[in-house]
Amino acid sequence: MRKKPVPPPPSTSPPPRPTHAEPAPFPLTPAVLHILLALVDGERHGYAIAQEVEALTDGRTRMGPGTLYGTLGRMMGAGLIEETSPRRKAGREEDSRRRYYQLAGLGRVRLASETERLARVVAVARAKNLIRGPEPA
Amino acid sequence: MTRTDPRVPGPCVPGVPPPPSQPPPPSAAERLHRALLRTYPAAFRAEYGEEMERFVRDRVGEARYGTGWIARARLCAHVLLDAARTAPREHGRALVSRVRGTPGTDDVPPGDHTRGDVMDMLLQDARFALRTLARRPVFATVAIATLALGIGATTAIFSVVNALLLRPLLLPEPDRVLMVWDATAAAPRGQVSYPDWLEWRAGARSFEALAIMRGQSVNLTGGDEPERLAGSFVSADFWPVLRAAPALGRGFSRAETELPTAEPVAVVSDGLWRRRFGGDPALLGRSLTLNGRAFTVVGIMPATAPLFGATDVWLPIPYYPNANGFDRGQGSMTVMGRLRAGATSARASAELGAIARREAERYPATNAGHGIMVEPLHETLVGDLRPVLLILLGAVALVLLIACANVANLQLAHAAARRREISVRAALGAGRARLVRQLLTESLILSALGGALGAALAHVAARALAGIVPLDTASFAPIAVDARVLGFAAAVSLLTGTLFGLVPAVHGSRADLGASLKRGTHRFVPGLGRVSARDVFVVAQVALSIVLLVGAGLLTRSLIRLRGADPGFDPRGVLTMEFRLPATKYADDARVADFFTRALAAIRAVPGVRGAALVRAVPLSGNAENLPYIVEGRPAARDAADAPAVHRNIVSPGYFRTMAIPLVAGRDFTDADGPTAPGVVVVNAELARREWPGQPAVGKRIRLGDGDAPWLTVVGVVGNAKHYALSDAPFTQGYIPYRQKPLIFTSIVVRAAGNPLALAGAVRGAIWQVDRDQPVWRVRTMEEVLAGSVEQQRVTTRLLGAFAALALLLAGVGVYGVMSYAVAQRAHEVGLRMALGAKRGQVLALVVRRGMALAAVAIVIGLATALAATGALASQLFGVSRLDPVTFGAVPAVLAV
Repeated sequence: MRKKPVPPPPSTSPPPRPTHAEPAPFPLTPAVLHILLALVDGERHGYAIAQEVEALTDGRTRMGPGTLYGTLGRMMGAGLIEETSPRRKAGREEDSRRRYYQLAGLGRVRLASETERLARVVAVARAKNLIRGPEPA
Repeated sequence: MTRTDPRVPGPCVPGVPPPPSQPPPPSAAERLHRALLRTYPAAFRAEYGEEMERFVRDRVGEARYGTGWIARARLCAHVLLDAARTAPREHGRALVSRVRGTPGTDDVPPGDHTRGDVMDMLLQDARFALRTLARRPVFATVAIATLALGIGATTAIFSVVNALLLRPLLLPEPDRVLMVWDATAAAPRGQVSYPDWLEWRAGARSFEALAIMRGQSVNLTGGDEPERLAGSFVSADFWPVLRAAPALGRGFSRAETELPTAEPVAVVSDGLWRRRFGGDPALLGRSLTLNGRAFTVVGIMPATAPLFGATDVWLPIPYYPNANGFDRGQGSMTVMGRLRAGATSARASAELGAIARREAERYPATNAGHGIMVEPLHETLVGDLRPVLLILLGAVALVLLIACANVANLQLAHAAARRREISVRAALGAGRARLVRQLLTESLILSALGGALGAALAHVAARALAGIVPLDTASFAPIAVDARVLGFAAAVSLLTGTLFGLVPAVHGSRADLGASLKRGTHRFVPGLGRVSARDVFVVAQVALSIVLLVGAGLLTRSLIRLRGADPGFDPRGVLTMEFRLPATKYADDARVADFFTRALAAIRAVPGVRGAALVRAVPLSGNAENLPYIVEGRPAARDAADAPAVHRNIVSPGYFRTMAIPLVAGRDFTDADGPTAPGVVVVNAELARREWPGQPAVGKRIRLGDGDAPWLTVVGVVGNAKHYALSDAPFTQGYIPYRQKPLIFTSIVVRAAGNPLALAGAVRGAIWQVDRDQPVWRVRTMEEVLAGSVEQQRVTTRLLGAFAALALLLAGVGVYGVMSYAVAQRAHEVGLRMALGAKRGQVLALVVRRGMALAAVAIVIGLATALAATGALASQLFGVSRLDPVTFGAVPAVLAV
């Protein structure tokens, strides 16, 4: 899984247009985006990620185990996240057996570029009175 | 699946925290999830299974704070939906990565299989098999098409067998419905007389209800146009026996259907109600003029009335319009009963048998020698069709076997070509079982695809078959591809897949590693001397085709004989039609005779009519009447059942000329043979030969009926005419003039100068000139009547012929494939021989000789099998021995070509 060639990180936004020679960048689906966001504060285990995603979306996104671990596996394959060195967490025995994930460099870059892009999209939408609501702080 | 049992004690019980040291027993959601985990690819499971289980456990802990079992049920649903969405996706990814050659997630080291991996392994085999097949599209297409034809034909015939023989009738508790027949040594299924039924019903304890009935057409008049209805005269017990009831109104009461107290009431069918009366519920209570009498409608049957779906109207049995139909000894009705709960058919039979014996003692003149016979209704309805269906099922099974042999052969050839690949795989450590499984998976995939296509074919074919089944199918489960038939198709597919897959699989996986690898390609083929599995399959195919061809050949010859059989009359140019006079309007014999005389005169006046006559029962139309007879000067038989029987028909003068039945001696009837003239009879040659051999029959006297019947003088002898079926052996017949026995129910035969059907309108018009209220029906040419009488044989023969043709085609393709493969394998050898100076002819002979040798073996085996198998056909044959040398000789000839 991890042997897949990792696309080079985009230097600037907008992200480079894919050519025929190189594989398309890993798509940032809502689930992927949410997981990336959930990991911004630091490493988490699977269940904690799911809880964080739920909290971030006011309970609107509730991930099942298959969705979560399937997505995590593919994100690791694409180099967006990485597993922290296992069993290093002290504390409860239960926690020490869990697998923890954190953002990889590529993940952080792509999250930043994607959220910037979204912010611009939102700004335009707001300017056109498409959406209302409080301005971001 | 979202079952969460609230009774399960454990972590879900609120207020009872689990002991801290012990892990809590798994909740329903956890157990469900653990089961669902098995649907993911093994590698994915190995990677994340444990994490996922922990995840669900966490979720359960969270759900516990929710509202009891609803929260738990929601979690279960969530887990289930999640697995349903993601498990296939993971399989897809695993497949993609495999196909691309990147090490996928499902690469499990060999020999590391746990039980949970079986699913994975099968999927892997299936994927591999699909790829292998996709690489050989011609092979796959031929194999699938062959199997689809075999499985489709088998499934289609099975759908008929299923509906007619296996599924219960469309009645509540149909097993308890029995027919009761009046049985004599000569006729086990005789009809029952009204007085006998009364005694049976009074005496038999085994029956909940015992009904008597008689179907006969009824004239409906008083509307715009007279109409002939399919009538059924029944006793009140009819509805309880069928456990059916009118949808509107009611059935008949006992009093309404008993002889002295009968009331003119009627129940009409849903079809008649909608067609003729626009579905108006106000029909209830109105009166209908049936057979010239007013009947009050008291009930309307539902649309899906069980049994007698073709009936338009039910009337009380006392109104059955046959003057002596109610006499003891005049069996003209059928009896059907419903057993009481717990009663058996055997007990009912014994009980009724005892009653019949008492009756025979009390009324020896009419009942001596008469017993009873009970039979499940299903039996009666299916009747002669059972052996036919079983023969057809056997035939398609043979076709399927041929298809199997065909595909097995293709697989063998396929496997031979893959020998190198298999050797490599074996060398790399694949076990024999693994290889067999792989090859078997291919076969099963082929048969599954063939089966699916076959089921689709069967669906179409079943509809066509439903249209040609010569039965009133309203009482049977519909002929269609239902769940059971689909199950059958699936089972057949599985069986055939195993059948044609196992031999090639075992054969192909045989580990002659070294040899195959060294050779590189398999070039040397055993010569004539060795018999390979392929040869066995070829021989089996050809032999099975021979069995089918012989069967089809015998039936075809039988049908040709039947159609060529001399019916004893000339059907060409003859038109027949039936009609009946209302008894109320034509109350006495003189009026009936007068109507007929005038109607005949009017018909004969129609241009193009060369002759017209009346006949009670048109030959081969299904109507017939049998009576005992007594010859003057001979002692009467002691038992009524032992008396010789004669088939009686009532005809007008000119009948024999119209039908072209030859007059052998004496004279035809004339108009002088009236009610006041001396009684006369014309007998057929068979009766004359049997009773007065070597003497003139004309002038002798006989009685038709029992001892009270008048003496009739024989005035003529005519040729034997077929009446029941074209396969009739000559039997005794007697004709009496219609003016001495006028009947309100009759048929007219008209001989036309040209096309008889062109006259139909004019003839009907001529009858209506005499009486406007006469419905005329069943207008058919005599040739149609004849063809109709062999309809079932025709359908059977066609189907069997089609199967035989299919078998021949499949076998031909199979043999061609195998021979060409064998030749291709020997190309090297042939080239060598030719290089060494062998002539073209010699090489050809080499190939042909082998083919001929196989064919000879196949023909011998096939003919021997056919000799044994045609025993099943014997009952269906007419004028052809089941060992018919012509057929048995012709089949190998056809094959040789």
